[in-house]
Amino acid sequence: MSTTDAASGEGRSLPIPKPRGRIQLQEYALVGVVALILIGGAILEPDSFLTTDNMLNVLRQASVVGVLAIGMTFVIATGGIDLSVGSMVAAAAVAGGQLVDSGSAAFVLGALAMGIVLGGINASAIAYGRVVPFIATLAMFTMARGLALWLSDKTPVSLFSLDGVRWFGNGEVIGIPSAAIVFLAVTVFAWVLLNRTRYGRYVVATGGNREAARIAGVKVRWIVFSVYVISGICAGLAAILVSGRLASASPIIGNLYELDAIAAVVIGGSALAGGRATIVGTFLGVITFALIFNLLTLMDLAVEIQQITKGLIILAAVLVQRRER
Amino acid sequence: MSIKHIAGALTLSLALGVAACGGDDSGSSDSGDDTTKEASGSTATKSEGPVKIAFSAPGADHGWMAAITENARDEAEKLGDVELKAAEGVTDSAAQADQVETLIAGKPDALVILPNEPDALMPVAQKAMAAGIPVIDVDREFTEQGAFRALITGDNYGIGYQAGNYFADELKCSGNVVEIQGIAGIPVTEQRSQGFRDALKRKCQDGVKIVASQPADFVPDKGLSVMENILQAQKDIDAVYTHDDDMAEGVVSAIQNAGREDEMFLTGAGGSKAAMEQIKEGGLYRATFLYNPSMSASAIRMARLIVRGQGFEELTEPEVPSKITVPATTVTKDNVDDVMNLGF
Repeated sequence: MSTTDAASGEGRSLPIPKPRGRIQLQEYALVGVVALILIGGAILEPDSFLTTDNMLNVLRQASVVGVLAIGMTFVIATGGIDLSVGSMVAAAAVAGGQLVDSGSAAFVLGALAMGIVLGGINASAIAYGRVVPFIATLAMFTMARGLALWLSDKTPVSLFSLDGVRWFGNGEVIGIPSAAIVFLAVTVFAWVLLNRTRYGRYVVATGGNREAARIAGVKVRWIVFSVYVISGICAGLAAILVSGRLASASPIIGNLYELDAIAAVVIGGSALAGGRATIVGTFLGVITFALIFNLLTLMDLAVEIQQITKGLIILAAVLVQRRER
Repeated sequence: MSIKHIAGALTLSLALGVAACGGDDSGSSDSGDDTTKEASGSTATKSEGPVKIAFSAPGADHGWMAAITENARDEAEKLGDVELKAAEGVTDSAAQADQVETLIAGKPDALVILPNEPDALMPVAQKAMAAGIPVIDVDREFTEQGAFRALITGDNYGIGYQAGNYFADELKCSGNVVEIQGIAGIPVTEQRSQGFRDALKRKCQDGVKIVASQPADFVPDKGLSVMENILQAQKDIDAVYTHDDDMAEGVVSAIQNAGREDEMFLTGAGGSKAAMEQIKEGGLYRATFLYNPSMSASAIRMARLIVRGQGFEELTEPEVPSKITVPATTVTKDNVDDVMNLGF
């Protein structure tokens, strides 16, 4: 689903051209890709790929990068980028880990708080400091990693006793992994936010044409500020999910998560330059990569093959986008 | 905008402040050492005054690497007459080469280096040697003899070989094994893999099958996802051979989450405290193989001896040996208490 166009109704509305056709094609193409992978996997690994157990496993694994990718969608929709999400996950996990003796709730709050703080720093630098997003988040990429290593004294904290946190990573609700439920909930919430609220329209408008949006009355600085905070919150959430599964708050996790998140957003159909965003596309993009990683590991293929495959898919997705213009 | 300028100035002073506070000064004192054994060769020896050692290691992105740098610093402080200048924190070889160049320009008495990639750092090491600065190579071996004066390394092949022997005995030469490697393609990984396979082949011929072999980059979250997927593919696993204790934590979580701890046993490598504690408890984590980051502390000692023109007291030869391989001790429940103090 793409962004809705200017409807009448609540207050100011913006005449945003609706690129519905293009994004829908992209999403259908991605559904096709997912179907292809499922069929291919069923043929190549008949005993282990298409089982309920494995599919739930894939969903659980996809949740961490998935949550990050949803946040990244908002950032990319404004024409920005966030290279720091992986490191922020580590920093948030470590921050929560420092509170391990105070219980699961403290861990959750600590991780989210760190995510908000770091996201806020990115947001301030970009929205008010006028630093280019690439540079600002690149700086945070190293700072957050350093912060994680420093706060944790380079040693992981065991979360074995925090049953609440471990439930997030590993629990189930009527058979569905709780991590997947969090991912799905975030996806639904984000879809509503992007497609059914004024805020969502403003986000896309800011990315599409910042000057026009500003002139039309959108508080673009605040919009830009907010999306990086969203990204930070998502990093905090992702930290909870992965630490729960690991039963450990480790400062060295999160390597290159940002690239996975960005790749998922791009192949989902959101424009890297901003102005066009699709939550469903991002969701499908995340699932696509998770399925590929899963299938190639099941087949015990060399990691180089996985990387080449991933790269080719990203390239193909971008080429398909270009052809539609 | 003036606010931007103030913010910029504040950020810069904050950065300088962090750098200053984070920097390390090890004390130096006049040692009054006698030169009991003269070393021959082009390196000038220094019998008095502080020994200035430059130290370079890749960025501490996992516990083992962090311990390397920490051990070097601690040892320098303990020795008293060593002034250590450490550069660390970069994760790519070109950046490390630049750092080493800077260190060499400060004219240290010796250079202790753990090269990110030996081939890429050889030119700058050769440069140091040519300038009369002895180079002590830690862990990752330079292939050109002229690039270093002394080498101290763990025994990667030995880890693999001992692990293979251990598995052959424990599994009585029959079963399915999963291998979780570190970073694919580097010599450490190749040697640990090869040693493992060679030992298994020698002892069991084809009795033990390696049913899956995937890298997990020495980090626990990758170990977790990779093992989760392998658990889906392999319904009958007898043992898991991992290349690193830190990474193994993630693998252990995956196995525990799937409820399959009783099906298999697991070994790590390196010798982390967390691993040793689990080995002591017994259960899934059965053994690890020492690859001790204490070798950097030994490297500092070697550097100091070389600069002072001395050798090892226990050896007859007057000079420090050029290659030392630290043995990879197998740590199991039987001997874990003896080596607990070495855990990092």
